[in-house]
Amino acid sequence: MGSADVVRDGPAKAFMLCNEAIVRGAIEADVKVVSAYPGSPTTEILDTFSDVKPNFDYKMEISSNEKVALETCAGAAMVGHRSISSMKSVGMNVASDSFFSLSYTGVKAGMVIVMADDPQAHSSQTEQDGRAFGPNAYVPMLEPSDPAEAKKMVKRAFELSEKYGVPVLMRTTTRVNHQSGIVELEKIDRKPFEKLDWSHAPARFTTVADTARRFKLQLLERTKQLEEEFNSSDLNLVKDTGSEIGIVTSGAGYNYAVDAARILGINPSILKLGTTFPLPRKLIGDFIKKVKTVIIVEELSPYLELHVTAIAKDANPSVKILGKWTGHFSEAFEYNPNIVVDAFAKALGLKAPVDYEAMMAKADELKKGLSDRPPTFCPGCPHRATLWALLQATKGTKHILSTDIGCYSMSFLQPLNYGDSMLSMGACMGVAAGMQYAAKEKVVAMVGDSTFYHAALPGLVNAIHHNDDFTLIILDNEVTAMTGQQPNPGSDYNAGGQPAKKMVLEDVIRGMGITDITIIDPYQAKAVVQPIKEALSRKGPNIIISRRACALYADRNKRRRGEAILSNKVDKEVCKKPYTCIRSFNCPAISIDDDDRKATISKELCDRCDVCAKLCPFGSIKLREGE
Amino acid sequence: MTSDEFSIYMSGVGGQGLVLLSNVIGSACASAGIRALTGEQHGLSQRSGSINIHMRIGEQIRSPLIPVAGADAILALEALEALRYVEHLKPGGVVVMNKRIQHPIIETIGHMKDKTAKYMSVEDVKARLSEVTDKIAVIDALAIAKQAGNALTENIVMLGALSTLEAFPVPEEALKKSISENVPKKAIEVNLKAFDLGKKAAFETLCNIVKCKK
Repeated sequence: MGSADVVRDGPAKAFMLCNEAIVRGAIEADVKVVSAYPGSPTTEILDTFSDVKPNFDYKMEISSNEKVALETCAGAAMVGHRSISSMKSVGMNVASDSFFSLSYTGVKAGMVIVMADDPQAHSSQTEQDGRAFGPNAYVPMLEPSDPAEAKKMVKRAFELSEKYGVPVLMRTTTRVNHQSGIVELEKIDRKPFEKLDWSHAPARFTTVADTARRFKLQLLERTKQLEEEFNSSDLNLVKDTGSEIGIVTSGAGYNYAVDAARILGINPSILKLGTTFPLPRKLIGDFIKKVKTVIIVEELSPYLELHVTAIAKDANPSVKILGKWTGHFSEAFEYNPNIVVDAFAKALGLKAPVDYEAMMAKADELKKGLSDRPPTFCPGCPHRATLWALLQATKGTKHILSTDIGCYSMSFLQPLNYGDSMLSMGACMGVAAGMQYAAKEKVVAMVGDSTFYHAALPGLVNAIHHNDDFTLIILDNEVTAMTGQQPNPGSDYNAGGQPAKKMVLEDVIRGMGITDITIIDPYQAKAVVQPIKEALSRKGPNIIISRRACALYADRNKRRRGEAILSNKVDKEVCKKPYTCIRSFNCPAISIDDDDRKATISKELCDRCDVCAKLCPFGSIKLREGE
Repeated sequence: MTSDEFSIYMSGVGGQGLVLLSNVIGSACASAGIRALTGEQHGLSQRSGSINIHMRIGEQIRSPLIPVAGADAILALEALEALRYVEHLKPGGVVVMNKRIQHPIIETIGHMKDKTAKYMSVEDVKARLSEVTDKIAVIDALAIAKQAGNALTENIVMLGALSTLEAFPVPEEALKKSISENVPKKAIEVNLKAFDLGKKAAFETLCNIVKCKK
């Protein structure tokens, strides 16, 4: 798999996830400082850097949030070491405050920020188009289409960053980050890590008022030079087939455009933009001069379409530009080959070789009655137990649940459909503060340990200072579970297994002035209902900490230690089919035996948290024999 | 589309080892000089949810996603998940599916409320799929994996079965080498055994209906 290939010396070929290829590129570029907070679809960048860290001498932090991560990289690059951070685009929202300033102050050594959008919102709260960050901050932006190109581009990004003294943004999307492909490994030639002298004039990286105005003029000049360079850069690809039809595209769109053209048997000219800020306007102008029709293939907002349209005004006023504004493509959701085939067919009056709509209709008919399988809490997940107990404790009373970002967000999905609001990392507390002013009902806020440290701390400071009346439940499962169980400030280790100071939640909270803290173990099931009830009945702000390790994490540790993962079974002699285990617990390890309609537990899936056994009124759930 | 191309729509339930499976195939391709790419699913959907990986082999393919009606084969580690992505199968394409069903919890909840309800079965899935193809093989991967010595090797059992297809362009030696490089050291032997047992199972089922390697 990837990690072994990431450390393997080149020249060689390897099959790599794009996120691993990005890491490999940065290592070949002799990156010295890495800092990031996990977030899909970038998480494997952080994971890979962490996995291979023992092989290299770069410094690395799995940061408390994206803003701190970006600032850590900025500091290192100011001194003179190459640095890289990765984040999903909503993470860039968090980091953006410093990001904008950093464009003004610039950096000394190369600094690269990988920022990934998530069209289709597979694992995100919005379909935000992060491309706006490049032009808005005047930060150069590159977009790769596949792992091989991403690796090449990250190395070029470091060079550009150093040449122009500005961080470089590498913008990706889910279908680029989570694409694997064949990558050329080059020689790894790294210099030993050493501390450097601070060699700058005072206030070199300070921006406000007069210096900000000076920096602004400099960055405009810098952007002009970058555009000049990009006009003839091999980061942009022009395929001139002499066709009257031209495709302008970038990133994931390019992959679909090439395949769609092949499927339709057409051979249009293609301009694949690798530099999407500043846009190479001369290159684009020259391209559209040679064609009669331009089709723009880009996901999310019509960013390229807007600029191509503006450039066409002088370059080729009569060119037909087809894209989102003409209804050929949507601004919603991610693309795929058939969407692009259909759009090309419509634009060019061709017929798609497959009637996709008919195929989908036939498939829908065949799938009638097939149950959905949305993501849900894993067997053994402590969140399921906490939510069960919370629902019991609040039975018959009205309350509002202001929840946050993490695995527990899934409580709003089927079958629980529980939770009233969820905006962004750490938002549960600010939202709860407003709710407790406006609503008659009791307000409950819920956040995981990692999200608590990420962005909820200022919310808690605010709530304590203003004596806001809500109860905060912190789900402490030891790790950043959602993204793959990375360590967080509550862990005693960090990237690459290096030792770290473990923060203790209740100590942090007590230090902030709250003494009403209830700590529960959700696996105790019924026993924790009353303590929750009592905590909720008291005036806030008060805290419930529900503490139990993420089941996936605990299982991994058990396997590492060679411990068996036990499972429960249903004693069919005792089961009287109350279905309590299904009705109120919703564990995917439990199903109904079609022969006798009694509950049955999958040995392969059960994690033996034993909570369902504690809930069964007949005591029919027991440890599987022989375990 | 050229004849060296082969696209496999791989599906299953989060936690079944689909990513490892695509890594094994992809690394085997890299060592055998065959171009391969995938579109994978990581993140939220892994939590016991439906999961899919698009595995694409071919010199000219660029899209990591297989178009509708573009998959030469569906490889399903769970039977319901074979049906869920049926639109991606080329008419007459091959389906290699695990006999195992993991009932989605929301299906179980509906089931609890309706006493006459029956879960969708492997036979139901097969009957429905047979409307678009007659090349369906059901492999009891869990039983075979246990026979190999570890229930977690279901994914490699299924790969062993798939590898018998004549049209599957990855040589067996490359796959076996890749398995050895991609699974934990102490699990290499059991995985190679799972691969061979999967192949054997395919020769008894799949190869009666589709052209297989000798």
